[in-house]
Amino acid sequence: MSTIEVKNLHFSYVEGDEILKGLNFVIDSRSTAIIGQNGAGKTTFVKLLKGLLKPTEGEILLNGKGIKDMTVAAIAKHVGMVFQNPNDQIFKNQVLDEVMFGPLQIGMDKETAKIKALEALEIVGLAEEKHTNPYDLGLSRRKLAAIASILAMDTEVIIFDEPTIAQDYAGKERIKDIIRKLRNDGKTVITIIHDMNFVADVFERAIVFAQGHAILDDSTKMVFLQKEILEKSYLEQPDVMKLCYELGFKEGFLNVEEFIQGKMNKR
Amino acid sequence: MKSISLYVDKGSWLNKMAPESKIIYIITAITVPALLGIRWAGMGFIVLSIILLLSGKVLKKTLPLLGVSGFVLVTVLIIQGLFWAGNITPLFRIGPAVFYKEGLNFALGILVNVINILLSFCVLILTTKPSDMIENFVRKGFSPRFGYVFISVFQIIPQMTETMNTITDAQRSRGMETEGKLWVRIKAFIPLISPVIMSSLINTKERALALEVRGFNSKNKKTFLNEQVKTSADIYIQIALLLGIAAALIWRITVWLG
Repeated sequence: MSTIEVKNLHFSYVEGDEILKGLNFVIDSRSTAIIGQNGAGKTTFVKLLKGLLKPTEGEILLNGKGIKDMTVAAIAKHVGMVFQNPNDQIFKNQVLDEVMFGPLQIGMDKETAKIKALEALEIVGLAEEKHTNPYDLGLSRRKLAAIASILAMDTEVIIFDEPTIAQDYAGKERIKDIIRKLRNDGKTVITIIHDMNFVADVFERAIVFAQGHAILDDSTKMVFLQKEILEKSYLEQPDVMKLCYELGFKEGFLNVEEFIQGKMNKR
Repeated sequence: MKSISLYVDKGSWLNKMAPESKIIYIITAITVPALLGIRWAGMGFIVLSIILLLSGKVLKKTLPLLGVSGFVLVTVLIIQGLFWAGNITPLFRIGPAVFYKEGLNFALGILVNVINILLSFCVLILTTKPSDMIENFVRKGFSPRFGYVFISVFQIIPQMTETMNTITDAQRSRGMETEGKLWVRIKAFIPLISPVIMSSLINTKERALALEVRGFNSKNKKTFLNEQVKTSADIYIQIALLLGIAAALIWRITVWLG
């Protein structure tokens, strides 16, 4: 079980224009969704987490150790990140080779890498396509291949950047299962995302970013109950929560299942 | 997205001038000194360009350009000053190196020409939006297809740079080293370049579709979204510049004949 400690984190691309203005929190075993309007600093934050950017002030501790002096490649052994657009990474002409690339880069031997890659492909449901050219897959399945290529690296922390883009219902369900599985395997799962229903369904904790600050940080339910604060940062509640609000219910439910169960128990 | 164009909108009168006037200015600034064959003419145009750039508030922007070519020009000055074939009269010496008058004079001619061409192009490039210039050409009958190709370069290159950065991040995130020894960099080449090429191809296809959907190949006469950049003074300036060229040409011919 790994922890990420964020201490007084500041970052700016150009001097005087701070993107992150002092973040302080600890990412624990709960799966965490970082939400916020475009430009709130979410992507910048995860890039800092991956060591792709260096903080201007403050620090990030991974398992109690500062990542400041680690190279990006060294951090990659611990923190994996699935980028938004699978086309940004795919360069092999076989799905299996593509998925094996990451594990080999972080020093796994060929045998282990292959086993891990096949496992990962099984998880995302692309085991049948291991010899296909990734560009012959549709965008949504190509994205699953990109997810597999990070899963195969078997890192303690996995970051998903907008995992639901271009996914249909089945794809989203598949990604939900993947996130739940990772969570149960004791991995730290972090996502940055705009799909509130998806957050309500799978994530245990939500952190709201606005203008470089973390303005809300609580369990998903507590965060989504703060309708006013969410609206101020141009976010909306999940659909079921909206419905509860409009119906004038005191309690809020995150999703359909919770709603039905909550109501049934009352009777 | 970072622009690759050197254009800056300062709202100056040069920004509002028609691009054609500035192009004719370049032609004049190059042909007139060449026709007259007098070095002072070149220097005169250099001064004129500096005044124009100053009034267009972009003189500062020329400094990096002059810096780069300045380095080359200094080497020209040194080499010609030392070794030009017609060197006879020593002018001064620095240690063992003797600089000759003729060579320096010859180098000065090159210097004036290069700086003149550079500055007159700056007058156009620093004050004209590339898309405005091309739209004006298209208005004058330049093929819109080629016009699009030129304009799109200014959009596609920054876009590719951005994609390249994301791809570098994505591959580094998978534990790939991109910095360090030459061999590391060579190994990193394919994982970095293939996604760029693939996504450029995909983008190109989508761009083509998007253009076609909006009637790019339609045979109808097209209108323009942007208003034409020109002022009432443009036509007079253009005539004056063309008359200048004609005068220089006539002078040259009479000198030949006479």
